[in-house]
Amino acid sequence: MADKRQELLMFNTTQRFVHWLHAAAFFVLMATGLMLYIPWFGNSIALGDGGHAIRLIHRIGAIAFMLVPICYLVFNPKGLFDAMKRIFTWDKDDLGWLRAAPAYYFLGDEEAMPPQDKYNTGQKLFYLTVVICMVGFIVTGLIMWFGKGTVPAWMFRWSVILHDLCAIAYAAFFLVHFYLSVMHPLMKGAINGMLFGWMPEEYVRRHHARYYEELRSKEVLGSKS
Amino acid sequence: MAKAMLIDVSKCTGCRACQVACKAWNDLPGEVTTCLGYYDNPPDLSPNTWNRIAFYEIEREGGQVAWLFRSIRCMHCTDAPCVRVCPTGALYKDPLGFTAYDESKCNGCGYCTQFCPFHIPRLKDATVWGKGKVAKCTFCQDRVVNGLIPACAQACPTGAIEFGERDELVAEGRARVDTLKAKGYDEANLYGKNLLGGLGTMYVLTDPPDTFGLPEAPSGALAEVWQLQTLGGIGIAVGATALGLLINWLIARKQIKVEEM
Repeated sequence: MADKRQELLMFNTTQRFVHWLHAAAFFVLMATGLMLYIPWFGNSIALGDGGHAIRLIHRIGAIAFMLVPICYLVFNPKGLFDAMKRIFTWDKDDLGWLRAAPAYYFLGDEEAMPPQDKYNTGQKLFYLTVVICMVGFIVTGLIMWFGKGTVPAWMFRWSVILHDLCAIAYAAFFLVHFYLSVMHPLMKGAINGMLFGWMPEEYVRRHHARYYEELRSKEVLGSKS
Repeated sequence: MAKAMLIDVSKCTGCRACQVACKAWNDLPGEVTTCLGYYDNPPDLSPNTWNRIAFYEIEREGGQVAWLFRSIRCMHCTDAPCVRVCPTGALYKDPLGFTAYDESKCNGCGYCTQFCPFHIPRLKDATVWGKGKVAKCTFCQDRVVNGLIPACAQACPTGAIEFGERDELVAEGRARVDTLKAKGYDEANLYGKNLLGGLGTMYVLTDPPDTFGLPEAPSGALAEVWQLQTLGGIGIAVGATALGLLINWLIARKQIKVEEM
């Protein structure tokens, strides 16, 4: 049985809830979106009434998706602002991450990797992409949902194109996100942070040294209780 | 060989026989309309009105006043943006050249209504639920494939709407433009010969296209971008990412030994 003092709280209940709400909405939206527009993904059931049902499910998924930022803002504004501050903070260690990343992720060479914050450079890029795409999805999605025929045609057309560009970015980044959280050998145990909130102190020290120092200086390292 | 229609506005008297014939053959209900102070009636296309006469009152250079009529309907573009964006194949190109429509496949997304450069397809749409079907002129597919001519062409009393082989109609349209020019219509032109791969509905116009509400250069560029991006872009982006991750996994699982934490 692990000593409780060796675990750190990385994600509180709200953060984990919005993450999994986001994940659920993502799967519904991606599946229905692909079925509607890509023939290889069961386009044959997206015809006629079946297509109408899939479009309806896409809209229900969209409501869950829009609740993600709303829930985060309402239930944990401090956590949201903290995350936003971190993903927009960039310095020389991020350049160092880019240089060290190939040896780190392919060979496990941790020597050249500069100390990283709560989110490392790759995670910041991912998070930024998610934020930008989320805004893109919601704005263009609402235009397509409610603006058909009322907004100018060029605006609708660009909404369709941007909505799909966001989907392409989301799909590609999701694969990376999934792979690094559960499949990459260096990230063993990383999933626990999002499942239960707690991460081994040793993991945080090795992967997120700057954040570890920050917690230590604030003397918030401590027990689960 | 591609079939087409040639509509000669100089022969059109605005009688609306084509509008009525279209409704009659396609079994489309009439619409309750109100007088809006001009002759257009109904004032716009709708899911139940696939062809209508638009009336244009203009003043030419020199103060001459003219009253012009144009039958507005699907242009049956050879390279049709609506076909490019239709995700279900409900809109498709018939071998005879026109843009055909299979209503049973339509799921009501309405992309065609927004990507059509002529604003032709119309959607019956309850916005919140998104249920609906698109409707537009079908080139009287059911008549044409059985050797008849479209109802509008059949009904036209002045010969303003002609149906036939596209090549022959282009030649005829050019001859009509020359005749009109000789009669003093300096700006007469044949509209649609090359636009969007060649329109299946061409017009002999007495005045510049914008006089009749027709775009000089209708474009399906964004439909093409969307099609390439959605069908190609996602495959390339996701495929390349997946391949990269697979390579990483094959190398990293051999190279990296992690102690239990």
